[in-house]
Amino acid sequence: MASADSDTRPGEPEAIPQAVKIIIAGGFGVGKTTMVASVSEITPLSTEEVMTEAGYGIDDTEGVEEKTTTTVALDFGRITVSPDVVLYLFGTPGQNRFWFMWDELAEGALGAVVLADTRRLETCFHAVDFFERRGVPFAVAVNRFEGATDYETEEVRKALDVAPEVPILLADARDRGSCRDVLVALVTHVIRGRSPALSG
Amino acid sequence: MSHEGRRAAARHERGIADGAPVDQAGPDRTEERFLRPFAVAAGDPGGPASGGDLAPLDLLTLVVAARTPGRNEWLRPECGTILRHALRARTVVELSAEVNLPVGQVRAMVARMIADGSLQRCGPSRPLARKDILHAVLVGLRSL
Repeated sequence: MASADSDTRPGEPEAIPQAVKIIIAGGFGVGKTTMVASVSEITPLSTEEVMTEAGYGIDDTEGVEEKTTTTVALDFGRITVSPDVVLYLFGTPGQNRFWFMWDELAEGALGAVVLADTRRLETCFHAVDFFERRGVPFAVAVNRFEGATDYETEEVRKALDVAPEVPILLADARDRGSCRDVLVALVTHVIRGRSPALSG
Repeated sequence: MSHEGRRAAARHERGIADGAPVDQAGPDRTEERFLRPFAVAAGDPGGPASGGDLAPLDLLTLVVAARTPGRNEWLRPECGTILRHALRARTVVELSAEVNLPVGQVRAMVARMIADGSLQRCGPSRPLARKDILHAVLVGLRSL
């Protein structure tokens, strides 16, 4: 049973980092998983949560009017930002009926990135509203899809009706540098929000 | 083609025919699929073991093995797998991905294993203030 970990015995002291998280949210198929993969130092891991419920009209339960069991995938990546801190990036499940998982994801998060697609901006309204109501600081990243009209960030701000201090960036979820810039903008925004006297 | 595959394909075609909303398709892998029922005889999601007296287990709660997998583990292979993966501190969500079981299930098993002394919760070696964490994250991200 050789493994990379086999040289470590249980109980042996080791440096245990602080684990923190940032949420990548947005509508279905907007590029959340792509963004996680672009900046993660590991191949994004995937786990799932099982949901058992009585089908309530959304699920196709034709002929099987009983409980249905569905799974919702949860993708996450990891960045070791320092010897003491490891950052986890969680992509939120895109379908609206998986909101119950968002609460746990948002709990204790440093902040969130809301990925927006200008061809269907309304798909990120829920995410914006969710983080605003809970006071989770967020930044908006407009993922530039081919064929989409390029909008100015201020046009997007107006359409989303978010506060002037919320960072809005044009981004490419496939590009590591672009995703890094979005995350840096978010964390800078979080730090400013915590110490208003020091900003400016 | 597997039964599951056929059902998935049928579901997909039906979705298109019905003009299903966009969130029925796309690259995200949240599409429904059928699960083969399985039994894991450890942990009680509704029982007192779900966190014990301590704070409930978060996705990022760190745990580490407090003992090596023993001979009795053949009865509970998932516990043995968790112990092997937790030789170094691991988060609950990482364990879930590594042992390939749903988060809720792993959370329940981990809670039970903490209660019986197989696993230990662990905090960071150098607890940092929120301000210092944010600073470390900012510096780390900039150097990506």
